[in-house]
Amino acid sequence: MSEYIWRATVNGRKAEIAADPSDKLAALLRDDLGLTGTKISCELGRCGACMVLLDGKAVNSCLVMAYQCSGKAITTIEGLAEGEGLHPVQQAFLEEGGFQCGYCTSGMIVAVKALLDEHPSPSAEQIKEGLSGNLCRCTGYGGILRAVNSCAKIYTS
Amino acid sequence: MLLNRESAGKRWKTRPDGPAKVTGSLSYLTDLSVPGMLHGKVLRSLYPHARIMAISIDEALKAPGVAAVLTHRDVPGLNGFGIVTPDQPVFCSEVVRYTGDAIAAIAAETVEQALYALSLIQVDYEPLPVVTDPEKALLEDAPQLHPGGNMLHRTDYSRGEPEQAFEDCAYVTEGIYYTPRQMHAYMETEGGLFVPEESGRLTVYAATQHGFKDRMQLSRILAMPEEQIRIVSSPIGGSFGGKDELNVQPYGALLALATGKPVKIHNSRRESVTAGLKRHPMKLTMKTGMDRDGKLLAHEVKIVADTGAYSTLGGPVLNFATEHSIGPYRIPHVSVKGVSVFTNNGVSGEFRGFGGNQSIFALESQLDRLAAAAGMDPWVLRRINLRERDDPGPLGQTVLPSEGPEQVWRSVAASPIWLRKEQMDRGEIKTPPSPWLKRGVGAAMTMHGSGLGYGIPDPGGGRLGLSADGKLEAAFSFEEFGQGITATLEIMLTEMLGCHRDDLRIVIGDTDRTPHNGSSTASRSTTVAYMALKDLVPRISEILCRIASLAAGLPASELQTGPGGVWHKVAAGGYKKRDKKTASPLITYAELAAAAGEAIQLEADFHFPVTPDPVVGGHYLYTATAAAVEVEVNLLTGAVSVLDQYHAVAAGPVVNPMGYVGQIEGGSVMAQGFALFEDVCFSEGVPRTMNFDTYLIPGICDISPGFHIDAIQELPQDDPYGPRGIGEVGSVVLAPAITAAVHHAVGISIGKLPISREELSGILPDLLAEKVGTP
Repeated sequence: MSEYIWRATVNGRKAEIAADPSDKLAALLRDDLGLTGTKISCELGRCGACMVLLDGKAVNSCLVMAYQCSGKAITTIEGLAEGEGLHPVQQAFLEEGGFQCGYCTSGMIVAVKALLDEHPSPSAEQIKEGLSGNLCRCTGYGGILRAVNSCAKIYTS
Repeated sequence: MLLNRESAGKRWKTRPDGPAKVTGSLSYLTDLSVPGMLHGKVLRSLYPHARIMAISIDEALKAPGVAAVLTHRDVPGLNGFGIVTPDQPVFCSEVVRYTGDAIAAIAAETVEQALYALSLIQVDYEPLPVVTDPEKALLEDAPQLHPGGNMLHRTDYSRGEPEQAFEDCAYVTEGIYYTPRQMHAYMETEGGLFVPEESGRLTVYAATQHGFKDRMQLSRILAMPEEQIRIVSSPIGGSFGGKDELNVQPYGALLALATGKPVKIHNSRRESVTAGLKRHPMKLTMKTGMDRDGKLLAHEVKIVADTGAYSTLGGPVLNFATEHSIGPYRIPHVSVKGVSVFTNNGVSGEFRGFGGNQSIFALESQLDRLAAAAGMDPWVLRRINLRERDDPGPLGQTVLPSEGPEQVWRSVAASPIWLRKEQMDRGEIKTPPSPWLKRGVGAAMTMHGSGLGYGIPDPGGGRLGLSADGKLEAAFSFEEFGQGITATLEIMLTEMLGCHRDDLRIVIGDTDRTPHNGSSTASRSTTVAYMALKDLVPRISEILCRIASLAAGLPASELQTGPGGVWHKVAAGGYKKRDKKTASPLITYAELAAAAGEAIQLEADFHFPVTPDPVVGGHYLYTATAAAVEVEVNLLTGAVSVLDQYHAVAAGPVVNPMGYVGQIEGGSVMAQGFALFEDVCFSEGVPRTMNFDTYLIPGICDISPGFHIDAIQELPQDDPYGPRGIGEVGSVVLAPAITAAVHHAVGISIGKLPISREELSGILPDLLAEKVGTP
């Protein structure tokens, strides 16, 4: 059997990994590419800690297999900011206290980016819908909501 | 003051660990890897209670990629761990007592190889009767789980003559309360990297809340001197008490030493749920009586705690529950008897609130029931019985004078939510149009102890100095698990020294690089940091100004520390008015370090403030808190929504506003889960809710639209201890406030958490019949 090569664009760069077609994207990112900003926590798609953008859509990378994302564009938390500075969503989380332990934060920020890309000025219901797949045990979501709301102002201005 | 970003103004500071957390660049200990490392996996028991007849590892040893297979025969030192009593085997040899019990551990080249090899280990079990009910566990014919029997710990506190006093009571209420087996549900499961160093030392990169305690425990297990072990224990992806006890450390350490290679272990969620600690489920039976004027006379409490298979801190948790079952109230006649019992239901242990959550729910519910029985306002009932400034503590022990309980009581009494309750009661607020939606308001309060309490070593201290490279270096043995201790230290240091955050280097969570100043538990670290820096900052300032004085030829009395170095006081005073770019220190910290010739290190060393009275577990410092909530009960579904909440917290000066707000918000939402839906379900000693698909924690859809925090900062004059911890108080009074609000809304008095939806929706038929009338 010829070896499977997984090819994708990760954070704007070409990636090629000799992998198994059923390898989880989360493992490819963390173990093969060293992108440990993507976290693993429940490994069944409930908590959102492993969330990344797949062609711009937020997905749980613990549920995506190599063959399912081959040839696609993947953005992880490490690829969100352009240049040296922070992405506006990252900046808002920093300023509003949208994280504590930080372990859900990568996935949460990715989910917020996907939400705001779709709804630059989201309603309360859209925020709940957009972030219902991301669990945070530390903040009680207060700081996260403040961050989303302050970002929405930036996105719409 | 109502605390939020706006009111905090310039004191609202971003966290020093923030940039790395929002960019994903922070390496947690479970993110670490090194070339050539092995992967460790642990074989856990198939049964909650069984005798081990034989263990065969022969096939596993032959499996591909396997470097080591370890069992009880391979523990060089003590085959046991436990912070107080090391009764949990590292590897079981004869008996297993819960499904998380470890029997073997394997290191292999890949995780898959390790898992495959685990499946080749043969264990012959003889299942034993499972002990699941702590009350039945105390019966004579119950299977005995430990050589000393099934009782871990007993408490017995009494004063006055409660039995007689009940006869003088005009109102007596009796209640039985049950609390759930809540899971910490930290997002990062247990794990880390274990590295045998060329020097013969072992470095452990694994989360804990007390690195030096892990070092002591590992030293016992490995039969290695403590100095040979380095524990790096921070940063941590959440803990809430759950990583206080050893978890994967013995296995990682033994495998690394056995193979001579670095070993990584990272628990799956399923393993974490199976092996990890949970909150003690408790049954609290209370009888409480008062006279015609609402003065409490007698209070009788019986607590049965399900401590699971092993001790860990089950004893101290029961002590805490005992103390907090009496509350901030004057009650002349009291009897509290507690018992913590071994079962095969997992392991219960340390968890944010530490036994207070359970007791406070029961006690506050009792007061609400008494008020209802007497037709009194429940908040007025509390005021009548509230302790005063110089009263002794709940166990009669000397405590630091505190006006906290009265302050938080007043705050809630004047809060918009409580005023809304009064309006509701007067019929001034329109009820929701749907007859199945009912709204109500409730409130609860407590004073929550901080520090480990009398009788337990509770070292405090810290180190501050100037490093050779010119950084003001502060070192504490704390861990950062999200609570914000690094931000709190940075804010204290920049405010006390006048320096810039870039002048600082904060070192935590590393036994090689910090002094031992105790655990990051028990709402103690903020107080420890404040006490240490209050001692250290004037001393380091004096030394730095003295060195600067020699260099600058100015009297030391005219100098002070500031941003970048030591300043002339006049220049420092005029700093803001002058052009920032041209103003500069007389001598920079780097120049001072060069002038000093060597690193300057000052240490503080003290014991956490403790009551002088020999009352085991009794506290000296407390944080008072009260919360009011408004809920909406949907009688069609039985769901309870929290609409608005108000927290009053009397914890002294707010050091770190962002951290303070985050702790109260986060603690409160965790308590909402405790009240409304969290419970690790067990059947016959086997956990059934193994991940976040069946164990539900609050999500963003569950949180209340309104959230208000009144941070009461005033302390009695000359209070020496400054800011109090607030890591736990956000999570201890919300549950009874919610149940009180549910009672206000629908008239049902809740005795069991989480609140049963069936119980609430069950009243709908009667309610509708009442509305429609019977045909």
